[in-house]
Amino acid sequence: MTGALKSLSDALAGTVEALGPGVVRVEARRRMPASGVVWSSDGLVVTAHHAVEFEEGISLGLADGRTVNADLVGRDPTTDLALLRAEGSLEAPKWRGPEDLRVGHLVLALARPGRTVQATLGIVSALAEAWQSPGGGQVDRFLQTDVVMAPGFSGGPLVGAGGEVHGVNTSGLLRGLSMALPTPTVERVAAGLAAHGRIRRGYLGIGAQSVQLPAGLEAQLGQSAGQLLLSVEPGGPADSAGFILGDVLVAFEGTPIQRMDDLVALLTGDRVGQTATVRLVRGGTVQERSIIVGERPR
Amino acid sequence: MSALVEQLNEDLSEVVARARVGLVQIHNGHRGAGAGAVWHPDGLIVTNAHVVQRRRPQVVLADGRTVSARLLAADPDHDLAALEVDATGLPAVTLGASRRLRPGQWVVAVGHPWGIAGAATVGVVIGLGADLPGFPAGRGEMLALSLHLRPGHSGGVVVDESGQVVGINTMMAGPDVGLAIPVEVAKRFIKDALGTP
Repeated sequence: MTGALKSLSDALAGTVEALGPGVVRVEARRRMPASGVVWSSDGLVVTAHHAVEFEEGISLGLADGRTVNADLVGRDPTTDLALLRAEGSLEAPKWRGPEDLRVGHLVLALARPGRTVQATLGIVSALAEAWQSPGGGQVDRFLQTDVVMAPGFSGGPLVGAGGEVHGVNTSGLLRGLSMALPTPTVERVAAGLAAHGRIRRGYLGIGAQSVQLPAGLEAQLGQSAGQLLLSVEPGGPADSAGFILGDVLVAFEGTPIQRMDDLVALLTGDRVGQTATVRLVRGGTVQERSIIVGERPR
Repeated sequence: MSALVEQLNEDLSEVVARARVGLVQIHNGHRGAGAGAVWHPDGLIVTNAHVVQRRRPQVVLADGRTVSARLLAADPDHDLAALEVDATGLPAVTLGASRRLRPGQWVVAVGHPWGIAGAATVGVVIGLGADLPGFPAGRGEMLALSLHLRPGHSGGVVVDESGQVVGINTMMAGPDVGLAIPVEVAKRFIKDALGTP
């Protein structure tokens, strides 16, 4: 024996022990509790949105065995994150962005579904650019691991070799995959939830589907598809801006729109109430219209 | 590969070799084989109660001999059984202490999954205790491990990173969590059943 395995094993168990105080039990649903991780020492805790069924009567189980009450500050179903505020101060772990992570790195998933802290080990399976969740949530990096998400592990921290938290684990975002919301996303969503109690999203009040553009328009616009308006909500932002059924939307603020995802990605919360320029095709001719972006109803 | 990974590989293969010491196969007629471990060189074998379905199961020892075993004691509540074979000088396991295990610590399980003799699988300790949420209640203290146990693993051993036995493979809880009986529970069973430690 060289001692390398013993050293590695001790280091992993030591990391779990050191991070334990920052991992809490979240009792906010009928069946088994989930986990949360302390975001800041003033009592803010992030957890998985899908693990929070109750809006009131939420309690947190701490490492020292105490149970404290917590309020739901807000939730964002699109990134599967929720923000809680506990009574009193909590011990926060060090948070870190995903920039030091590489595919193949060992990572731990920590959780506290019961009284004690629990852990599973895996590697970073995939690390790619920003992506959009099926619900339309903006996630700064695609961070997939192969850590086992045992019962109650959602909402717990993903911990790297340096003993720092790189994100929040969830099994509720992409079915069958262990995904982590990277720290920048947690930071942005937590800030939004703390400020507004929700994550605002832009809204145009339209229903649309992709259509191929005729060859002439394709050459003129430099894109092959656009979004054909199938419905326009009466009194909604698009209606107020004079959009009508049959218009084909081809660009938003100068960015080409070929698929609906292209548009959804541009309708960020900071555009709510702002005026945007939309390019569309009506009766075979290209024109531009101004629209005041609304807020997506909850 | 780096020197560190080579060292890890060397240690892992040594741990697997130690885990296989004392590992036996337990046959119950036609329905495949379970695993067991020699606890005493004079023929004491510990396995799961659910592995022993006949009073005189056949045991394949590490040296390849097949011998008939007697059932000394069984505790279906804890899923433990003790067998005896007529043999001496058998290679026996080194018992460790499951109470000292910590979440995140490395473990190796050996058994005969799907009939593959002595196959090893690696994982970490998820947690331990009698109140692991999401796991079967009323089974007493359990070790939850992030490794996959398959038919034929039952009754085999879980060892820590030094090769000492810390648990006995028992069942899966859900698709990805293996459960083992802590070695302390098995020690108590043997003491209560046979009056010897």
